[in-house]
Amino acid sequence: MKRVLIVDDAAFMRYTIKAMIEKKEEYEVVGEAENGAIGVAKYKELAPDIVTMDITMPEMDGLQALKEIKKLDPHAKVLMVSAMGQEKLVKDSIISGAKGFIVKPFKEDKIMEALAKI
Amino acid sequence: MADHVNEVEFMEEDTQKGRFLTFQLGGEVFGIEIKYVTEIVGIQPITDIPEVPNYVKGIINLRGKIIPVVDVRLKFKKETIPYNDRTCIVVIDLDEVSMGLIVDAVSEVLTITEENIVPPPSYKTGFQNRYIKGVGKTDSGVKLLLDCKKLLTSEELQEISELE
Amino acid sequence: MSDESNTFNEQMMEMFIFETNQAIEQLEDILLQIEKESVMTEENINEIFRIMHTIKGSSSMMMITNVAKATHSLEDLFFFVREKQLQNVDLDATCDLVFNTIDFINQEISKIENKQQADGDEEPLVEQIRRALARLKNPGNAKEQEDTHELEMKETNENSEREDQGVTDQTVKKHFIEQTPEVLEKQRYIAKVHFEEDCKMENIRAFTVVRNLADHVDELHHNPIELFEDENSTKAIVENGFDLFFTTAEPYDNIFQILDTSLFVEKIQLEQVDSYDALVKQIEKAQQDEEMVQVETEDELIKEDPEEILQEKVNLQNVINVGKKKNIISVNVEKMDLLMDLVGEIVITESMVTKNPDLAGLELDSFNKAARQLRKLNNELQDIVMSIRMIEIGPTFHKMHRIVRDMNKKLNKKAELFISGEETEVDKNIIDALGEPLLHMIRNALDHGIETEEERIAKGKPTEGKIQLEAINTGGDVLIRITDDGKGLDRDQILQKAKRNLLLPKSEEDMTDKEVYNLILLPGFSTKEDVTEFSGRGVGMDVVQKSIDKIGGVIQIDSKMNEGTIINIKIPLTLAIIDGMKISVGQSIFTIPTTTIRESFKPEKKDIIKDTAGNEMILIRGECYPIVRLDQLFDMKGYVSELEKGILVVVESEEVSFCVFADDIIGEQQVVVKPIPAYLRQYNIKNSGIAGCAILGNADISLILDIAGIAEKI
Repeated sequence: MKRVLIVDDAAFMRYTIKAMIEKKEEYEVVGEAENGAIGVAKYKELAPDIVTMDITMPEMDGLQALKEIKKLDPHAKVLMVSAMGQEKLVKDSIISGAKGFIVKPFKEDKIMEALAKI
Repeated sequence: MADHVNEVEFMEEDTQKGRFLTFQLGGEVFGIEIKYVTEIVGIQPITDIPEVPNYVKGIINLRGKIIPVVDVRLKFKKETIPYNDRTCIVVIDLDEVSMGLIVDAVSEVLTITEENIVPPPSYKTGFQNRYIKGVGKTDSGVKLLLDCKKLLTSEELQEISELE
Repeated sequence: MSDESNTFNEQMMEMFIFETNQAIEQLEDILLQIEKESVMTEENINEIFRIMHTIKGSSSMMMITNVAKATHSLEDLFFFVREKQLQNVDLDATCDLVFNTIDFINQEISKIENKQQADGDEEPLVEQIRRALARLKNPGNAKEQEDTHELEMKETNENSEREDQGVTDQTVKKHFIEQTPEVLEKQRYIAKVHFEEDCKMENIRAFTVVRNLADHVDELHHNPIELFEDENSTKAIVENGFDLFFTTAEPYDNIFQILDTSLFVEKIQLEQVDSYDALVKQIEKAQQDEEMVQVETEDELIKEDPEEILQEKVNLQNVINVGKKKNIISVNVEKMDLLMDLVGEIVITESMVTKNPDLAGLELDSFNKAARQLRKLNNELQDIVMSIRMIEIGPTFHKMHRIVRDMNKKLNKKAELFISGEETEVDKNIIDALGEPLLHMIRNALDHGIETEEERIAKGKPTEGKIQLEAINTGGDVLIRITDDGKGLDRDQILQKAKRNLLLPKSEEDMTDKEVYNLILLPGFSTKEDVTEFSGRGVGMDVVQKSIDKIGGVIQIDSKMNEGTIINIKIPLTLAIIDGMKISVGQSIFTIPTTTIRESFKPEKKDIIKDTAGNEMILIRGECYPIVRLDQLFDMKGYVSELEKGILVVVESEEVSFCVFADDIIGEQQVVVKPIPAYLRQYNIKNSGIAGCAILGNADISLILDIAGIAEKI
């Protein structure tokens, strides 16, 4: 059972990603966070197997949160969720240790494929 | 949306087109498109309400929903007869507005195709003619097909739209 | 199954619409504030950017491409404003752009809600935004035709280089070490990686592959060489695949695995070769600028700037402080309706149990105690369920600010909207039904009511017009009042118009002022002659009347020439469970809301008097109270005609007291209030003294008396 933490400031995205993931039995969404800071806190609390991380968020963006999480757990598996136009941040995320990224809009099969590989 | 049809045969929406519930009133037989009929119940206690025309007999309680009932004989200015155990209330609903029609008795559900329906009499006068959408020809005789929209619309608005 | 996926899609769409509407509301508030204070703060810019970004993301997920494109272009504009920290932005024009975009989004969402295609053309809007952005970039030369996105991309890279503190990686890194004899044990490979179609940002994906591979190889070249500086690299990778040339001691399978771990890799071609030098030289020659950069270790990359650390701490603190976010969940309205119905039935059933005829005459102390407890719990349940459905009217009122702003602009008028009573809670049905009528009336107030500045100055009025929107809770009803200090209604004009359209219910002389003003509510009053762009689009006040009718409300209009107009809307809180006293009049049972009852008694003949007009009155403790006979009021048959043989119930409504005469009092009972059926609203029942219907324990219907309404008639 892979435990997933979803971090995204849009409730719509959290809802959609959660619905997509939970269709597969081997995944369980154990938590959601609406900004990077809460994401980091929840990572500490829940110790999920995978984190989906939106890049632009208020309070603390995805890149920052990624760095914080990596400090806590260098082996953390984080999948960045980006939109077009954020190439710099995506690149920095990869450099900072994100396992990969997926670009919006994406269909269900794409995110499931990404999660399976991470 | 009042799509549930109880004591009448349950049919798919599409095939309800052209199906009419027929009922008796005096010597004439009227028909109403099944798709507007949500229920048929026997006559039951009616609560009187003030300030309404005589043909609005009052309101009934149908499983928690309050439905106004109209005596069709009175509305069409015919003679009234006492209600008996054959008297029924046909509940029609259009766009969330419901009402019950008190009729002598309910007959059967008939299919009347477009070819067998002719336009109503051209004179729009007469107490019932404005409510007749068409005349249906069937094996068992002529059925006067009622216009539910007109039945459920306010009288005033009808008069205004006729003036324009 | 397609059914399941349909519901999933529907739910997603509902969520999308809900969230987008919220975002738009927030956005409008920001814009209105900006316009009011004539300044756009950094925070404003960030928020607008973020909201546009979010809507862009969500709408693209839902495949509403026109909205995605429109919001994308606005996002670009605000990105530019943010990055360049522009000071002299034309606030007016910019806010207009955002408002226009909001309108476009609303329009498309509306289509979707009505099960239509979101087929609006976003091009004109996008073009507008593009031009605005071009103007911002070249204030002197507005004819720039560059593709703003490309421009922004370049600048993104430039700017971020400037502000970059932690991450110093600028161009492609290459591992480059000298070939030493030990290297001969290792194997050279060439690889070609193709990524899945349309996985986007293929250059960064290639970068990921390079990173993954870097630790396992000693020498690494790739083609394209420049992954970030070169705009064509992504295209080249998509078309030709990503080429890698490297040397490693690791086994073939390991290397293949490593290449495969990158996301969205579709095809890997891996080959052991003897040499790739020639190939590499070819590629390198083809490139014009080549830079050899130091290998950067991961440690360096994550080097933090002390300022950055401080900023993070501040951010975290802000998050902890912003704990005032309300704990709210959204619930499907249908579930609420079911819950309400169920609670209503529990009330009725409780009566059926506790007032069961089988129990008549029995001594039931223990039972009664338990029944009281049940009653108490049910009351609490009702209260809570009722309160869930009740929503503050504030947000609905708040939406009117935008309308006033738009109208002000278009009509060149100056009016300000004042709102009060926002905390007044009303049932959700009513909130839903009020939106459009309010919109219409506010528009009317601005279009036909408030005069232009010049006119107002000429009249000696303050230049700024005032429109007041109030909500007042009067216990049984909610009163919504719209007041404007404009030119008021022209009594004579209205009369003439009504006469022309044959709408006069009685002769001119017999009509009171209020009755005349209320004529504008009649269907057919507003003719096509007086259509302006905003109000009266063939749509008159009669449409407002209809909407208010639907929720059982009553409209009343009053006005004074040159001083203004007041529109009062009284809406009964018909979705209620009230305490009522049942009384009988002939065959009918009426219910009087207990809150209105002062006392009841059997009158004595000596106390009954008649006034000069023949109206019956009763003396109670020295005061005179009019008597209302329900059988006469409603033209129904009563059994008892002599007052001293029946019961008088003293009731009060807003300072007016009177007595209701009934045959008998049956008892107190909690009843579920149901509104008068829609079909009956064409008749005058509302004004006749009936507030609604109640279903009694035995399934009979009892009419609920509108005490306030009857009081007015006396």
